[in-house]
Amino acid sequence: MNWKKFFFAFLGAFVFLFVFGFLWYATLMHDAHREVPTLLRPEADLKSYFGWLALGQFVMAFFFTLLCARYVPSGRAGAGAMLGLLVGLVYAGPHLISFAVQPLTFKILFGWIAGAVIQFAIAGAIVGAIYKPANEHIMYVREPSH
Amino acid sequence: MKRFTIAFLAAYIFLFVWGWLINGVLLKDIYAESAHLWRPENEMRSLFHWIIIGQALIVFGFVMIYASGFAGGGMIAGIRLGLLLEIAAIGMCLGFYAVQPIPAKLIFYGSIGGIIEMVIVGAMVGAIYKPAPAGSSSQ
Repeated sequence: MNWKKFFFAFLGAFVFLFVFGFLWYATLMHDAHREVPTLLRPEADLKSYFGWLALGQFVMAFFFTLLCARYVPSGRAGAGAMLGLLVGLVYAGPHLISFAVQPLTFKILFGWIAGAVIQFAIAGAIVGAIYKPANEHIMYVREPSH
Repeated sequence: MKRFTIAFLAAYIFLFVWGWLINGVLLKDIYAESAHLWRPENEMRSLFHWIIIGQALIVFGFVMIYASGFAGGGMIAGIRLGLLLEIAAIGMCLGFYAVQPIPAKLIFYGSIGGIIEMVIVGAMVGAIYKPAPAGSSSQ
């Protein structure tokens, strides 16, 4: 594991997930979320829970980057995006389950699913582009001198 | 493809039973404390197919990731994949906790249940799915 590259890849993923989360879930989906006010904390309370949100994004970005780094065919942005897409599908599953047990609207369900798939595909591409696999399989052999 | 299907089915059956045990039995009282956050039981029953599709999507994505990047590592690689995916998902749950008035103990016990679940799913998939031998296209 190249920890220096890992650190920069994690940083890139964390910043992207944070900004995307704010734009997608807090801004674009703001009105959709307000259609189910009983499911959300009052806006005045949100600030006091911001630390949990930041910690959650940190944990998510760290372990997602670790997953990308461990992914065997991790060959740059394309493979990272493909892995991110699959991770987005895995996380879309719990959203469907949430829809069955919580009084969410279809608009929220589709917004969450699209958000998960898009954000992890892009985050995967970012991690893949920054954390390029080391060429461990390449061996340099000195040619015999004649 | 055959091993992929068997791994998917085995993991799906486990996930279904485990999900029922954790959410339908063990955490039932905690869910009852926050009844205003959940649909009434008859409504949940009418939307049960979404739970089945959601669980199938989780398992399908898991086996796809395992088959495309972790196969060959066996149970240990499967368990490692399960842990990484679940801990990242706990991060997502903390984000939900920040915006929804979900009881903290539900997040806590749900996360423990989730880790056990994904470790077992990973072990099952890792034990069942084996990569195709070189030159073969049967997997």
